[in-house]
Amino acid sequence: MTVLARNAEQLFWLARYIERAASLARIIETHSSYGRASADDQSWGWLVTLYSNAERFSKDYAETTFKNVIRFYVGDAENFGSILFSVRAARENARALRAVIPIEMWIQLNSFHQRLASLSDADFDLVSLSRTCGIIRDGCYAQIGVADSTLYRDEGERFFRLGLMIERADQTSRLLDVKFAQIANSAANGVGDSGHIADTTFWSLILRSAAAYQAFRRNEPRGADPSRVARFLLVNDSQPRSVTYCVHEIQRVLQELRAGYNLRQTHRALEQVEILHEGLQSAAHDPDLVARLHAVNDWLQQRLIELTSELGSTFFNLDPAPPPAPTVPPPPTAPQPASQSQSQGSQSQTQSSAKSTDAP
Amino acid sequence: MGTLTVLKDPRRQGPLDSYDPKPYFCELLGTKAQPSKALVGIWQRLQTLEVETLLRRAHEAESELLNLGVTFTVYSDRNAIDRILPFDIIPRVMTAAEWAVVERGVCQRVQALNMFLWDVYHERKILKDGIVPAALVLDNANYRPEMIGFNPPGRVYIHINGTDLVRDGNGVFHVLEDNGRSPSGVSYVVENRHMMQRAFPDLMQGLRIKPVSDYGERLLSKLTEVAPEGVANPSVVLLSPGVYNSAYFEHIFLAREMGVPLVEGRDLTVEDDRVYMRTVSGLQPVDVIYRRINDDFLDPEAFNPQSTLGVAGLMRAARAGRVTLANAIGTGVADDKAVYAYVPRIIRYYLGEDAILPNVTTHICGEPEGLAYTLANLDKLVVKPVGESGGYGIVVGPKASRAELEKCRVELEANPANFISQPMVDLSVCPTLTTGGVLPRHVDLRPYAVTGKTTWVLPGGLTRVALKEGSIIVNSSQGGGTKDTWVLEDEPSHPEAAQ
Repeated sequence: MTVLARNAEQLFWLARYIERAASLARIIETHSSYGRASADDQSWGWLVTLYSNAERFSKDYAETTFKNVIRFYVGDAENFGSILFSVRAARENARALRAVIPIEMWIQLNSFHQRLASLSDADFDLVSLSRTCGIIRDGCYAQIGVADSTLYRDEGERFFRLGLMIERADQTSRLLDVKFAQIANSAANGVGDSGHIADTTFWSLILRSAAAYQAFRRNEPRGADPSRVARFLLVNDSQPRSVTYCVHEIQRVLQELRAGYNLRQTHRALEQVEILHEGLQSAAHDPDLVARLHAVNDWLQQRLIELTSELGSTFFNLDPAPPPAPTVPPPPTAPQPASQSQSQGSQSQTQSSAKSTDAP
Repeated sequence: MGTLTVLKDPRRQGPLDSYDPKPYFCELLGTKAQPSKALVGIWQRLQTLEVETLLRRAHEAESELLNLGVTFTVYSDRNAIDRILPFDIIPRVMTAAEWAVVERGVCQRVQALNMFLWDVYHERKILKDGIVPAALVLDNANYRPEMIGFNPPGRVYIHINGTDLVRDGNGVFHVLEDNGRSPSGVSYVVENRHMMQRAFPDLMQGLRIKPVSDYGERLLSKLTEVAPEGVANPSVVLLSPGVYNSAYFEHIFLAREMGVPLVEGRDLTVEDDRVYMRTVSGLQPVDVIYRRINDDFLDPEAFNPQSTLGVAGLMRAARAGRVTLANAIGTGVADDKAVYAYVPRIIRYYLGEDAILPNVTTHICGEPEGLAYTLANLDKLVVKPVGESGGYGIVVGPKASRAELEKCRVELEANPANFISQPMVDLSVCPTLTTGGVLPRHVDLRPYAVTGKTTWVLPGGLTRVALKEGSIIVNSSQGGGTKDTWVLEDEPSHPEAAQ
């Protein structure tokens, strides 16, 4: 079976966009419902800080009100970081993959996208938001589930899985940075962190956002303190959204590509995964983990970006022939596509404080 | 209309009660008082359904097509809008005997056109013998000098062909147009059938309908037959301009049904006259390309240097015999409007046979009798300019103003060879579901022929229907839809048919 390099890349990004949309939906859902007390208007700037979208946000919106932030992250098709944009981009990748993926994946994603595109302003208000986020989350879960039960296990499927796990590791790492973002955001607004979210409540919220609340309760009867939650989501090897779990999966999949499909070029990516493992190990043993959490997360996110770029240059851009210059209008039936198989940059840069040397 | 009365059941109402094909040939009734038993059976089954039921099922079928993504895409600034080709749920039905004529006729035509192409790119005998004017071929914009002397595997140029047919008032099929470049629409034939199987199992029950779902397998096997010589397990791909092409669904469909990679120009590269595709495990050779990109955009090195959709060096590889392009480059000279008029003579010249499927009567204005007849009957004829600008400048005599006719006359006299003329064609009708009930609407038929070492014709083909009352324009861009086309297997003979 032949897997085109372009199709592998599209599978990779299809998975990433779906995982990204699901994560955003969960964060918004938990913070808007369980964190209701804090959902007063000015307190939603942290989400913009978390995803480093301040510049883009302020172009179209004046204030970080609940309404504006939700609009920006859910239904704003112009925002590369929005749920609607992600699902649309996932669908565009799926469209180009329709000769490859089972029709079940396309049908689910196509109907899901239609449903999402038909949402109106009323679906984003405080009362409906939880339901709307539920629809999005379930639509994304369904896509991942359909892929799991129908997608043929070839190289392409491995790249789908790599995309899924890299995005998931990135999202979990960002989630652990919510507190940092909130403090940074309050300071920027001159408010100071008033601690209006009781720590226990806050960290429970993080667990819920990671769909890890029950598992954590069963494993950590002593309750949710920052250090325990951080370790659970960073290094627990059985929690399917922990960074370590994801990195293990990435490693396993790369080894399958290497051994089962003779893709020797995986060695550089495997070396990067080793470094990630070492970093996670030292974080696990760091007594000051909570204090250094932001630095750890920055490092992790930076590493994941590098891993993505390594996969891109090794597998997706084989023999990159220079494009015929200059680009001219193609025939009337085919307007030149703006490739949507790229990450569109929204999340490819971490905060400016990120330093890859700042290893934990 | 005796037939209609006979078919009415006085005890109950049916959706076809007010159906009246008037003077046109009806695809379900015919014009004679002796419709085939199978077709009457289908008529009676339809009669047991209510219009509301039909409308509901039609609505469900359309939303299913949308979910399945059996669509063409219209792009506005940033939004991609998926539209389905309107689908009419009342099938067009052909008996085995009717189909046998079409099938033989299409095979004959494709064979003659392939022989014609070989000839005009080699010895040019048909031109030397004066059967077809040399200038018409050699000065044609679609004649590709790059193809002169090139020997395609099996001498096949047109691997995939679509023949547009219309049926006159007596039920006789006529060829309206040949499509030997990159005919589209076959995906709708198969998807329409699948849709009917889901939506109308009751209508199809017990009927023996020739299958269409093996099109992909057949196509792949035909393409394998024309692989470059000596290639044991040829690697076949489908080359598409990409997701922004309005026929992209069909490209997906064909790649999926053949089980071959759907590639774009950027996925391919040519090294030492060998074509490769970029895969995750490196470059892999490609032997046969079913291309859905026009000649002009196929290879920036050989043709339009501005094309970003094609693959540089493809023509070199093809000429070196390292890759087979289907269809071959340069087939446009055979399906040209000007050449069309000569196809009956082309068939006679190469095969020594009369055309099984006649052309629509065509007057070649480049010939004195044709010109004289055209000028004398300008108000009754459709005058079409030939050559590269086909489609534009058509003058429909009965509908044209006096000034338009006069202008046409001047142009005809100035350059008669640039025109052909044809009588107005009466298209047959088929019962079609409308919000006003089941009414007659005009249809045409495009059968698809696939040629490797031999030619195979997909039973039936694409039936396009003009959904507007009285309209004879079946194009999807102008309010046309499609129907499922059933070709019935041979029935064991029964007493009624024997009389």
